Amino acid sequence: MVALNLRVWAAAALLAGAGLAFAQADREVQVKAAFLYKFGDFVEWPANAFSGPDSTFFIGVAGDDALAAELERVTAGRTIQERKVVVRRLQRGEAPGQLHLLFVSQAEGGRLADILAALKGRPLLVVTESENALEQGSVINFVAVGDKLRFDVALPQAERARLKISARLLAVARKVVS
Amino acid sequence: MTAIHTSVARKLMVVVMLSTLAALVVALGAMLAYDLRNYHRSWIADISTQAELLARTTAPALAFDDARVAKENLELLRLRPEISAAAIYNARGRLFASYAAAGEAQFPDLPEADGARVEGDDLVVFRRIVDHRDILGTVYLRTHYALYDRLLGYLGIAAVVMILAMLAAYALSQRMQRSVMRPLVAISEVAHQVASQRNYSLRAEKLSSDEVGMLADAFNAMLTDIGEATRELEAAKRAAEREVGERRRAEEEVLRLNAELEQRVKERTAQLEYTNGELESFCYTVSHDLRAPLRAIDGFSQALLEDFPKDVPEEAHRYLGRIRSSTLRMGQLIEDLLNLSRVSRTELVRRDIDVGEIARQVATDLHVRNATRAVEIVVWDDMPAQADARLLRAALENLMGNAWKFTGKVEQPRIEVGALRDGGRSTFFVRDNGAGFDMAYANKLFGAFQRLHSANEYAGTGIGLATVQRIVHRHGGRIWADAKPGKGAVFFFTLEPGEAVSAPPDTKEAQA
Repeated sequence: MVALNLRVWAAAALLAGAGLAFAQADREVQVKAAFLYKFGDFVEWPANAFSGPDSTFFIGVAGDDALAAELERVTAGRTIQERKVVVRRLQRGEAPGQLHLLFVSQAEGGRLADILAALKGRPLLVVTESENALEQGSVINFVAVGDKLRFDVALPQAERARLKISARLLAVARKVVS
Repeated sequence: MTAIHTSVARKLMVVVMLSTLAALVVALGAMLAYDLRNYHRSWIADISTQAELLARTTAPALAFDDARVAKENLELLRLRPEISAAAIYNARGRLFASYAAAGEAQFPDLPEADGARVEGDDLVVFRRIVDHRDILGTVYLRTHYALYDRLLGYLGIAAVVMILAMLAAYALSQRMQRSVMRPLVAISEVAHQVASQRNYSLRAEKLSSDEVGMLADAFNAMLTDIGEATRELEAAKRAAEREVGERRRAEEEVLRLNAELEQRVKERTAQLEYTNGELESFCYTVSHDLRAPLRAIDGFSQALLEDFPKDVPEEAHRYLGRIRSSTLRMGQLIEDLLNLSRVSRTELVRRDIDVGEIARQVATDLHVRNATRAVEIVVWDDMPAQADARLLRAALENLMGNAWKFTGKVEQPRIEVGALRDGGRSTFFVRDNGAGFDMAYANKLFGAFQRLHSANEYAGTGIGLATVQRIVHRHGGRIWADAKPGKGAVFFFTLEPGEAVSAPPDTKEAQA
């Protein structure tokens, strides 16, 4: 009786912990997707970044399909810069093609330098979640502060990409590198 | 008079104060309403703007779930101490960040719809935070709504302003009153003096050149007029009194003279009556007493003639005859005198008589007594009169007897008795175509013993017409005559007082 009870409790505790971990991961993806979507409102792209006034806003996601899926869900029926949004999942080694916003997950951290080198000078907002990513050429880098998601901004990189970042976004950034 | 003064002054004061008060109330009320409305609108606009600003500012904080930044944004409201509390709600309606000026504050559990509302002394504003398409959250602002404080403050200021304005108005109106009332009071004082002293020489002083000044002028002009009118009236009154006095004195004089005159007339009349009475009684006595010796003379003369027809010579016969005829004449004279006296003494008895009837009787007598003569006597019909029948008969006997006598030498003697009528009054006349007389002697006609013809020509005593006149006078009438020598005569008479009927008949025509 007692042994059975213990097992039952143990199973329940395990299940509960897994559920909690799953919920936390899910929440993190949701927040990241929401942040990525919101960044579009606080950044100004140069006019030649788009082929026409009605051309699509492309978001590339490298190394995080869950996030890509969430991002698709968030942007469905919505616009960024008053343009239709298309999310592209970038496979390993694939050329990025035309993009306006690129998220490179931690899983792709090793390839970050290559990717950024390939995209250098293009009007592209690069968002990362790796340490020292800003030094490697990323514009915005997510940072976990406690249970909150924060981000740092590197203004020189943004300038090189000819992007104008709103002061209002800078106001909520954890750190701004200039 | 002071009552009038104070009442007018008070009215003036009340008018000034009331108009000041009305103007102040209207002006202050309008200002107050305008200011409060402005305050309300601008305050709501201000706070709404603040909320909007806050919404913009906190939009990124909400978007990137940064409550710390939102809190920092809210902390900026310290610069606006009138904002007592503020909060940011996230899209799900949960309190995201909050701010309280006093450190502690109550926040609504859930945000409300966009809008501003007054909640007691507070103004509460909710503002959605919208970023492009998405509602990110809601701003909540609570500020002190100072409308009522402001209103109270304004009312205090208004009260002070009103008190000051009313004091100023009071002082001003006092000054004005002095300048307005002083001339009025001066006039009313003069009017009062004039009324109580009846002194129209007083004049109101003209202290201003406005309507009151005109009033003073008009009042003075009126006083002048009244003064003059009063003087004239008094002069006229004095003159009238003088005149009345004089007239009364004159009347008294007249009355006195009249009384004196009446007294004198009465005395004279009494004297005359006495004398007349004496004379008449004397005349009667004398006449009466004369008859006895006369009868003796006549009787003895006759006795001489009858008793001694042969002894008395022829010459003596003749003398005796002369004596007898003289005594006869004297007897007649005495008889006439007695008649005259009797006419005066007998009582007058008026009756309704017919003058014509009496005249006809007299005519018959005349014809009977003098049958030798043929005299035509015409008597008019219907000649009524109010007279004494016996006296009237005596008068007609005399007048008609005269006429009979003086027509003795005329070929166709004619006597006419008639009357002229005018209304109820008659003028009777007796006309003949006899000897007539000269009108130059008309004044002697009615005197006793006055004769216009000699006794040889026509017999008579000279008493007849005097008797007639006395009879007529006793009736209150008049008698007069009209004649020409040889052309006949008319005797007119009336039997009652008053004027005779005019236009006596033409004697010439009557005789033709």
